[in-house]
Amino acid sequence: MSRLLQFLGGMCRVSSRVIWRGSPGISSLLRPLPPGLTCVLAAGKKDLVDLSVLNEDELEEQFVRGSGPGGQATNKTNNCVVLKHIPSGIVVKCHQTRSVDLNRKRAREIMREKLDVENKGELSEVLVKKKESEVRKQEKRRKANEHLERKRLFKESLAADSRSGNDTV
Amino acid sequence: MHGGLFILIMWRRSLSAGYRCFGPKGFWGSHAVRRCSAPALPAGRITALQAVDLWKTHFWESGVTEPDHSSHYIMAHLLGGKTIESLEQAKLTELLSREKTEQMWKLCTRRLSRMPVQYVIEEWDFRGLTLKMRPPVFIPRPETEELVELVLTDLEMKPGTGVGADAQQTCMEVGCGSGAISLSLLKSLPELIAVAVDQSQDAVDLTAENALWLGLQDRLQVYHLDVMKEKLLSLCSPVSTLVSNPPYLFSDDMLLLEPEVIRFEDHAALDGGKDGLKVIKQILTLAPQILSNKGRVYLEVDPRHPPLIRRWVEANVEELHYVETRHDITGRPRFCILQKGKSNKDHKLDLD
Repeated sequence: MSRLLQFLGGMCRVSSRVIWRGSPGISSLLRPLPPGLTCVLAAGKKDLVDLSVLNEDELEEQFVRGSGPGGQATNKTNNCVVLKHIPSGIVVKCHQTRSVDLNRKRAREIMREKLDVENKGELSEVLVKKKESEVRKQEKRRKANEHLERKRLFKESLAADSRSGNDTV
Repeated sequence: MHGGLFILIMWRRSLSAGYRCFGPKGFWGSHAVRRCSAPALPAGRITALQAVDLWKTHFWESGVTEPDHSSHYIMAHLLGGKTIESLEQAKLTELLSREKTEQMWKLCTRRLSRMPVQYVIEEWDFRGLTLKMRPPVFIPRPETEELVELVLTDLEMKPGTGVGADAQQTCMEVGCGSGAISLSLLKSLPELIAVAVDQSQDAVDLTAENALWLGLQDRLQVYHLDVMKEKLLSLCSPVSTLVSNPPYLFSDDMLLLEPEVIRFEDHAALDGGKDGLKVIKQILTLAPQILSNKGRVYLEVDPRHPPLIRRWVEANVEELHYVETRHDITGRPRFCILQKGKSNKDHKLDLD
């Protein structure tokens, strides 16, 4: 609740008219993506197939578009998209690209990841992948240390041999 | 050497653009014209973030709209990124070279004259495609990205028209501007071919340039043609799709436009006449002649237009029927879809 209040406080600072509405264009976002686009979106995400499905009815989108007829009448470059998931209160803000269309899609991807973490907790694929990568890193570090240790011991034994001269057989 | 040439070109363009800026009210006819000058170039080196802050403040003080976004986009572009958010913090806190600082000053000074950011950096994105931008060719609006989505939704569901599964689909665009709509469709549908027309030679040139830049020139033909004066029929065989973001503003509304639009963009790409329907009506009149049976028209329009268009078509274009109105991301009625042929109610006996 406090997060929402903070957010609303932030919104009030925006001077242009801000529109909160149920997600428009539902069908266009849920339709099967054209082949090219699917490949682009899947590239970094091919491992995360089991994320929660987004229910557009539970989402609200915010665009800062100002008053007036919009469209040809205005040229605004602010393409930031703010997506709110009503049941959980999770808010995702996306301004990664210069295209509103892409920002909306990307905001939904981020929302799906966050919801996945929220819903599945420890079992969330996002967290599982993160953990696996951590484990791999730790394993790598351990092996590297072992290797260095062996080298060190080997060098020491060489030094010891040379010190004791020909006494050692 | 290359850097020096770039700065020379920037200066020439800046001089021709003019340096008059407008007070915060922004009415183009107002006498409140302020001469805005750029802050002096810093004596020592500064970081990207410092330059961004400096110009953000200066834009704000000069009444330039979107002072923060303007500053961000220009700097991001200079540093090789699309948005400031996509750049690494390390890069933003590095000291800028003298050359980069001068470029920032040159570009931001152009923005001081209320030149749209898209013209300042000479490019912009549309549905993930980067397109070159050049005044006075109309800059694509975010709403129009949804127009493309509507067309794609329908085209993807359709099998190829005509005989044979691999018969090619053709799309025609009226008023292509920078080529955003056609090129976006071509990129998403590898089997599509497109024909685009515009009454502006500048627009035709820019569309062709963007097509070449994106490697889509083989599937796009661009023609210099004014639909108010010439027929479209001779250009190609009947098409399954006719799409347009035609000039749709009401002439009276032209007086209320912000400086970015009224001073830099082609008025012919905006002004749709007294009721904003001049070009729209012409397109709809010509549509039945260029569309194949059951072919569709997709238009972006003013929010007041949909009911007017529906009534007008019912009374004046027998071969077209109104399918539906769709809304844009801000919830305004924005898109009209029409189809050649009788309405669905009359299709009961049609077998194809």
